[in-house]
Amino acid sequence: MDFEVTYTEEQQRFRREVRGWLETNVPASVSRTPTSPEDNYRRYLELRDLGRKLGAKGWLYPTAPAKYGGGGLDVDHAIILEEEVDRFDLSLPPYYDSGGRLGSASILVWGTEEQRQAFLPAIYRGEVRTWQLLTEPGAGSDLAGVRMTTAVRDGDEYVIKGQKIFVGSDNGTDRIWMIVCTDPNGKRHENLSWFMIDANLPGISMQPMELMGTGGEGGTDSGIKQTVFFDDVRVPAFALVGGENKGWTVATTHLELEHGGGGRIGRNRVWDRLLRYCQETKRDGVPLSQQQDVRDSLADIYIKTEVQRLFGLRNFYLTYARKPKSYEGPQLSYYRKTTGLWMTGAILEAVGPAALTTDPTWGSSSGFLETQQRNGIVSVHPGGTTDIQRVQMARRIGIGRSTREKAGTVHGAE
Amino acid sequence: MDLALTESQEMLRTTARSFMEHEAPVDVVVGLQKAESSLDPDLWRKAARLGWLGIVLPAEYGGSGDSLSDAAVLYEELGRGPLPGPFFSSGVLGALTVLEAATDEQRRRILPAVASGERVLTVAITEPNTSWGPGGITLAPQGRNGSFVLNGTKLFVSDATSATDLIVAVRTGDGPGDVSLLHVDAKARGVTARRLPGFLSWQCEVSFDNVQVPASALLGEAQRGWAALAGALERAVPLLCAYIVGGCQAVYEKSVLYTQTRVQFGVPIGRFQRVQDHVVRLVNHLDSARWATWEALWKLDTGRPATASVHMAKAIASEAYLEVCNAAHEVHAGMGVLIEYGLPAHTQMSRTLFHYLGDPRWHKRRMADALEW
Repeated sequence: MDFEVTYTEEQQRFRREVRGWLETNVPASVSRTPTSPEDNYRRYLELRDLGRKLGAKGWLYPTAPAKYGGGGLDVDHAIILEEEVDRFDLSLPPYYDSGGRLGSASILVWGTEEQRQAFLPAIYRGEVRTWQLLTEPGAGSDLAGVRMTTAVRDGDEYVIKGQKIFVGSDNGTDRIWMIVCTDPNGKRHENLSWFMIDANLPGISMQPMELMGTGGEGGTDSGIKQTVFFDDVRVPAFALVGGENKGWTVATTHLELEHGGGGRIGRNRVWDRLLRYCQETKRDGVPLSQQQDVRDSLADIYIKTEVQRLFGLRNFYLTYARKPKSYEGPQLSYYRKTTGLWMTGAILEAVGPAALTTDPTWGSSSGFLETQQRNGIVSVHPGGTTDIQRVQMARRIGIGRSTREKAGTVHGAE
Repeated sequence: MDLALTESQEMLRTTARSFMEHEAPVDVVVGLQKAESSLDPDLWRKAARLGWLGIVLPAEYGGSGDSLSDAAVLYEELGRGPLPGPFFSSGVLGALTVLEAATDEQRRRILPAVASGERVLTVAITEPNTSWGPGGITLAPQGRNGSFVLNGTKLFVSDATSATDLIVAVRTGDGPGDVSLLHVDAKARGVTARRLPGFLSWQCEVSFDNVQVPASALLGEAQRGWAALAGALERAVPLLCAYIVGGCQAVYEKSVLYTQTRVQFGVPIGRFQRVQDHVVRLVNHLDSARWATWEALWKLDTGRPATASVHMAKAIASEAYLEVCNAAHEVHAGMGVLIEYGLPAHTQMSRTLFHYLGDPRWHKRRMADALEW
């Protein structure tokens, strides 16, 4: 076995090129914690601008096929890119683009050639940002129970009506990747369809939800969510991806990736900062990191983050080596979520009430611990609750149902 | 990056699995449980012929010179039994300790016989204080005419009742690390090995009553014993972890099969989410142990600094085996506690190995030190 990517001379040259480019093109200001909603929006625009520059080089979606505007790079080069942007505490894309990430993967597998050409280049080049719209007031864990948002065919168009919740981040979106009910009287799993639509169409309106989480444009996750209303929104029939009432099949790709099937490589940012905080902060004149009870807590926390890293690495390998997977995707998701939730208590115990304040004097730097205290809880639900992940695991292991469930397809046209 | 086994490792796995299926099925493992000695002579000879007893030894000492990762493939399969016997005690920890500590002459005298199975080693470290660090080693030999006399007790010595040779860690100075290693004939006058009764798998008491040990029994140099032992442990512990991973894997497979075939309330019990939760907990522990172990092995085999990873692997694996067995008992209920079903052999082994060579808390603390927090 080999747990590390080994780089050729060409790849090392590529790393130097990427690092040099990022140092020139990533504004130092993007690492700031926004001071106001206006400042938050300005920072978002800076990140989008960076996204377009990355997209122009094929570095925004590095492994996406070049013929649709992606980087066409192999996985080794993609890892280099991920590692280098990680040095700036950024991900690819550097803003919340879940609909772009999961929608483009789904379109690669299930879309027509015309749809790939129409939808993918703008995503891969960073010209648009896309949110995914799945959850409804009556359909959370039971995604197949989506009924409130419907699309009815009318000539060359569909008319969409309804409401989606827990959507996106802040600062708005350009495109929407959504699942709707196209046959209210149809059988379960045979009545849904996916659409990739323009977010600025008449009849679409949004309202922010006030949630316990914080943070907006972190890259992969967002603590700020919207309710989106559809009031007879007319969309072209061309926007329907994967066939009418075939949405549950398309969803297998979307969910496999959302549930962690793609894996992840990279360091744990909370851990790095937590250790530094404990080394720099004293209690009774002694650094927290030198106190046995805190050291014991830190060891427990570190081990969980290490296991999470190893599961992410394994899934990453399985995906890119195109090896068969079964329960590994939802396992990573389950482990990540339960660890984050558990860590809220472990960190609170290790650090004390300073973990709960954003005060610049008495709290942790930029309030990162306070963010973890909130988001470790909030992250239990997005992309399927911990219970849903366990149900998925059981089905894939082959004990939940009479037939063993297979992992979703994540590889599309190249 | 490549997280698959190599072709030759796949072949070794096939051979070892077939060996286990034919030579050490559940009834054999269960049958061995009450024996005073863990060594089954027939199994031992066959394992020696397959080259498994010298798998971590270089060819010049009669071994096969395989990497630790290669050896881990074998130990995962042995752990599936869990096959008792001093495979690890002699073929890994004993062999590596001699390799690390001894002079070349001593190595040539001892190790080929270990690889051939004629000599069976075990390393006696801890004492009634149950510490696994150098500070816990208090057994101090008295010097007499250039030789040593041993009086005292070593505890939780694995497989001592089947060993022909003991490697005994003794205190020879006042500094915390002033430890030396003595190579003692297990049949010498005054040496008594006794399997400790109870919920332990072949952990023994070894007592020394005026045991005369010649000066030549000192392995390598005096006071260098702990450094050598630490070096040997760093390479040996991940193979004990691999054995544990194999145990967890076997318990997982048993549990999945049981949830698919045991019918209650008219359906296989795997349909119940409460039961599924036990299996999920089990597989999460199994995979945690597996990947932490294999990453540590990879670091060792490629010459990377591995100390923290090895400590982490043992902490995770010890905890995993215990939790895996707990989850399996929740799945199996009454069936799980039937001795003949085979789960209790794992459960007892999981408790035994939880503490052996350091429990999770001990290893986590060593890990924190190694990471220089």
